[in-house]
Amino acid sequence: MALDFIIRCEAVAKSYWRGTLEIPVLQGLDLEIPRGGYYALMGPSGSGKTTLLNLIAGIDRPTGGSIEVCGYDLNDLDDDQLAGWRSQHVGFIFQNYNLVPVLNAFENVELPLLLTRLSRRERREKVLEALALVNLTDRLENYPRQLSGGQEQRVAIARAIVTEPDILVADEPTGALDAKNAEEVMALLERLNSEVGKTILLVTHDPKAAHHARIQIHLEKGVLDRTVEVNR
Amino acid sequence: MRYIHLILRSLFRSRRRTILTVLFLAVSVFLVATLQSILLTLDAFANNPNSSNRIAVRHKVSLTNLLPLRYADWIRQQPEVEEVMALQWFGGIYQDPRNFFPNFAAEPEPIVRIFKEEIVEYSETQWRDFLRDRNGCIVGEALAKKYGWKVGDVIPMQGTIFPINPRLNLRLIYRSRRLTDEQAMYFHFKLVEEGVPFMQGRVGNLWVRAKHPDEVPRLIERIDRHFADAVEPTLSETENAFQLEFLKMMGNLATIIHAITGAVLVAILIVTANTMAMAIRERTTEVAVFRAMGFTGSRMLGILMAEGILLAIMGGMAGLGLAWLAAGGIRAALGSVIPWLTDFTIPVDTLLFCLHASMGLGILSTFIPAYRVVRRPIVEGLRAL
Repeated sequence: MALDFIIRCEAVAKSYWRGTLEIPVLQGLDLEIPRGGYYALMGPSGSGKTTLLNLIAGIDRPTGGSIEVCGYDLNDLDDDQLAGWRSQHVGFIFQNYNLVPVLNAFENVELPLLLTRLSRRERREKVLEALALVNLTDRLENYPRQLSGGQEQRVAIARAIVTEPDILVADEPTGALDAKNAEEVMALLERLNSEVGKTILLVTHDPKAAHHARIQIHLEKGVLDRTVEVNR
Repeated sequence: MRYIHLILRSLFRSRRRTILTVLFLAVSVFLVATLQSILLTLDAFANNPNSSNRIAVRHKVSLTNLLPLRYADWIRQQPEVEEVMALQWFGGIYQDPRNFFPNFAAEPEPIVRIFKEEIVEYSETQWRDFLRDRNGCIVGEALAKKYGWKVGDVIPMQGTIFPINPRLNLRLIYRSRRLTDEQAMYFHFKLVEEGVPFMQGRVGNLWVRAKHPDEVPRLIERIDRHFADAVEPTLSETENAFQLEFLKMMGNLATIIHAITGAVLVAILIVTANTMAMAIRERTTEVAVFRAMGFTGSRMLGILMAEGILLAIMGGMAGLGLAWLAAGGIRAALGSVIPWLTDFTIPVDTLLFCLHASMGLGILSTFIPAYRVVRRPIVEGLRAL
């Protein structure tokens, strides 16, 4: 049976410029990720894993090659179209959670829904559903400063999934957490993949976190080094 | 509207900073609104629409030189003239020098015809009593209320310019359309003319009423030409121009007030711009997160601009509230000393000017930092500290 690839990268290249000096980060990378996959991008610092994640998530643009995600060639979308595309197809999970400090957990999760046409009642239902999935319905009114790091990251995950995106991208989601909270967050992501069917693309240095993924992609100096299937 | 909650929460992210900025804006707008209102009040005083066909004739040399009373006879014969009246600023004191109000010695009969727009409502019986009583006087109702005078009272006035202290019988209390016009006292010119030797046959001003405002320039020119070669040449001007002469004595008030207003607006702009720049720069990462979630650059710019404008409007409204409260205080405290301020208020024009200025400052001070943070690439914003 042919696989349904949700992400296709062809000869993707990305360079940064420091003055007149070109610094290549990705050099002609090809990658295909099927719908429902759980991939961990790994590699040493400067290998290009976060850059690749940003390009796939549509918050940066390649200097060469093409990226097709959810049936859209991202090169064809202008900035506003790309923003609209992100709001529908991608959920972001950041290392430092990046919750809005002046909004409580409910309001933080509701933020991406403000871009939809949903009514207030419909938004409320979706937020409660998302918070239930991360087991935080008892913390609706709490502000980020009133939550532990693990709880903050779970709120951030609820915010990422509330619009029901096709892909979740997570950049070092356990980087700021202790081992116990990290394990909880990784278990949650694993559940979202296996039970809800979310495609997850994860950048991590942590082998334990990467072990939760089904496939590990190792990058080295901007090129694909090897792909490893995780045996559990 | 669905972002209003977010905007309000973000605005009070740093409560102390927001409150201090709003207070600064409020004090600045209060200052601008009050000064501009004073200017408009003075301007309205010197541009009284009621006085469009009144001419003040005085000695060409200065306000303190006197004119022969007989000049009135020649002026009265001019076809454009409706009425002429001798009018002398008496400058008397009632009980205490602080009890200031304008008081004039005037030829009695023409008073109500010359000032018919100001002396609007009065009793004909009282008017006849006034004309019969050489020690009689008339006052506006606001002035009478202020000192508790009623018809029949004796008002002792102490001359400051003229060496007489007339005891005036209050014969009439008139009403006007505006409180400002109810602040004056008029009594018989004969009292001054007969009581002061150098005033015999002489007066400070002749107040002329033209039949039509269009005839005023021609009449002014004819009067001054006629008396140009006389020993006492005249200087005729519209009543508004005459009032402006008094205001000019206060220096170039308008220039000073406009300069202060300009300086305050620049200060507000700098402080608000600095506050907004700090507030927005602190949120570089947050803006990047919003954009990553799908908020477009223009939507984020709108949200940030709304915050800045709302902050400025809050300050502006608070300042206007303060100015409105202060206007009541100014009326109560200074209205009795400076008659122009009897009706002092913050005019709608000033309210609108201040609100628009606040909004404009909000836009100006927020746009550049907001635009810069929104234009910044998302990946850079996410890396910002």
